[in-house]
Amino acid sequence: MTESLIEVRDLWHWYLRNTPLQTVALQGTSFTLRAREVVGIMGHTGCGKSTLIQHFNGLLRPHRGTVRVFGSDLGDPHVDPRPLRRRVGLVFQFPEQQLFDPTVGDDIAFGPRKLGCDRAEVRRRVQGAMAAVGLPFETFKDRYTFGLSGGEMRKVALAGVLALEPEVLVLDEPTAGLDPRARRDLLASLRALHDERGTALVFVSHNMDEVAELVTRVDVLANGQNVMSGPVREIFREERRLRELGLGVPAAAELAGALRERGLALRGDVLTIDDAVEAMWTSLNSPAA
Amino acid sequence: MDEFEFSRGVTVGQYIPGASAIHRLDPRAKIIGFMIVIAAVITTPSYIGNAIALAVVLFLVRLSGLPLGYLIGGIRPILPILVVYTIFNFLFLGNYDPTGSPVLFQTPVALGPWEFAFTVTDNSMRQTAQGVFRILDLILLSSLLTLTTPITALSKAIESLLAPFRRFKVPGHEIAMIIAIAYRFMPTVAEELERLMKAQASRGADFGSPGPFRFVQRTRQLVPVTVPLFVSAFRRAEDLILAMESRCYVGGTGRSAVDLGPLKRLDWTALAIALTFTISIARIPFPW
Repeated sequence: MTESLIEVRDLWHWYLRNTPLQTVALQGTSFTLRAREVVGIMGHTGCGKSTLIQHFNGLLRPHRGTVRVFGSDLGDPHVDPRPLRRRVGLVFQFPEQQLFDPTVGDDIAFGPRKLGCDRAEVRRRVQGAMAAVGLPFETFKDRYTFGLSGGEMRKVALAGVLALEPEVLVLDEPTAGLDPRARRDLLASLRALHDERGTALVFVSHNMDEVAELVTRVDVLANGQNVMSGPVREIFREERRLRELGLGVPAAAELAGALRERGLALRGDVLTIDDAVEAMWTSLNSPAA
Repeated sequence: MDEFEFSRGVTVGQYIPGASAIHRLDPRAKIIGFMIVIAAVITTPSYIGNAIALAVVLFLVRLSGLPLGYLIGGIRPILPILVVYTIFNFLFLGNYDPTGSPVLFQTPVALGPWEFAFTVTDNSMRQTAQGVFRILDLILLSSLLTLTTPITALSKAIESLLAPFRRFKVPGHEIAMIIAIAYRFMPTVAEELERLMKAQASRGADFGSPGPFRFVQRTRQLVPVTVPLFVSAFRRAEDLILAMESRCYVGGTGRSAVDLGPLKRLDWTALAIALTFTISIARIPFPW
């Protein structure tokens, strides 16, 4: 059995607790992330996804239930979450809004400098992080941060977290608002990060196509509770259930469903475009049943 | 206590729905009534008067049905200022007291080459205590006003109260709009601040206290938060301008105001009570 990097059991969280505006965000949510895994978290807006992931690096403390990250129990108020924030990198929604330094290189170097790295180490980390997101170091390091395009700023923000060289990377809707090309680039960077460095990924998204492409296991949340959980192929088989939850299935799966309704015999777990092509090819070239 | 939950501390600009008498007051009557009570709070010179004023303010809070703890929470951020202000008043006011009130206590103090007298007079004691009472009263009253009144109602009331001054070229509508926008965005900015601090903490920023008087370090710590906060505030302002202009907003000229209707019996009663309270507090000679 592989050890869990993040282990969440029966987690409850209230916002503005003990005030007249108190609202419950998580009601007994559970979550597990094992080494080298790529896990997706899906759910409609306000289902508690963002609240859940903020527990992964100790930004929020559990109000009830347990959160263990790399073996530290975050329910214990004496546990300092700061060392964990280096190991669990959290990329917020629209991270480009958090850039503050006039030049790209300095902004990315913020994290490593805070860790107390020396000049050479800071440079190495910034170079590594920029390479990982596909920004050429020499051309971009002295560029003016606020003069970049939205997609480039997103990459810089992501590099700012990667410069901490985290073992787990948690991303909250990282592709929201990007054009298709920037989306593809970003997903490719994430995949490479996982394949080459063995970084475990937690991917929060509304976009079913991206989830299907990147992720191996999915947790679906609704009203702060786990409603579905399992390998991505099994989850996307339950199209009706997903639709009831305000979600959907990848476009390829939708197409496969429509073709199946019209009498084409396709296998049941078509998720990506490649799957669809292969399934149609097999179906059309095999003798009709 | 959650490390980053700032919206908890921002009671200004929040509205908490309710059905209490305070909630049901016409916003115009509420503003005028609160101003009358504030007049009592800031003019009464006696200890008893101040205590009564605070009691009345606490009674109003009670009447609104809002939890007192939540309102007190709004005081927490200014607590250091209040403490410093009180200490300074107590230490220095007596020495330069121009009123000639009786000296209660005096002792010479020598601090190296400087020598001065530490004096407590009747008046300095009084002013120190009053300072605390008044600030508490004002914060509780103003939070109570905004917590029980939706911001739109408040701005309509301000506009209608300022309408008579239009002939003196007082831009009532614009003032109301500015106040409404300022209040409306306070919780939003607090949320934004919270989000940014979390995001920067996630990439290694440390917002722990560097020590009480290390202002330079404290300021440097906040740069990664303040810069993006201003960037997004300006962006939000531009969005708001566009949204208003695309709905043909051109300011107050030629724009009709909502008729709020006449004040009701509840409103007149509240105003009468407030006025009676303020006049009595001003007229009754309290023994001390």
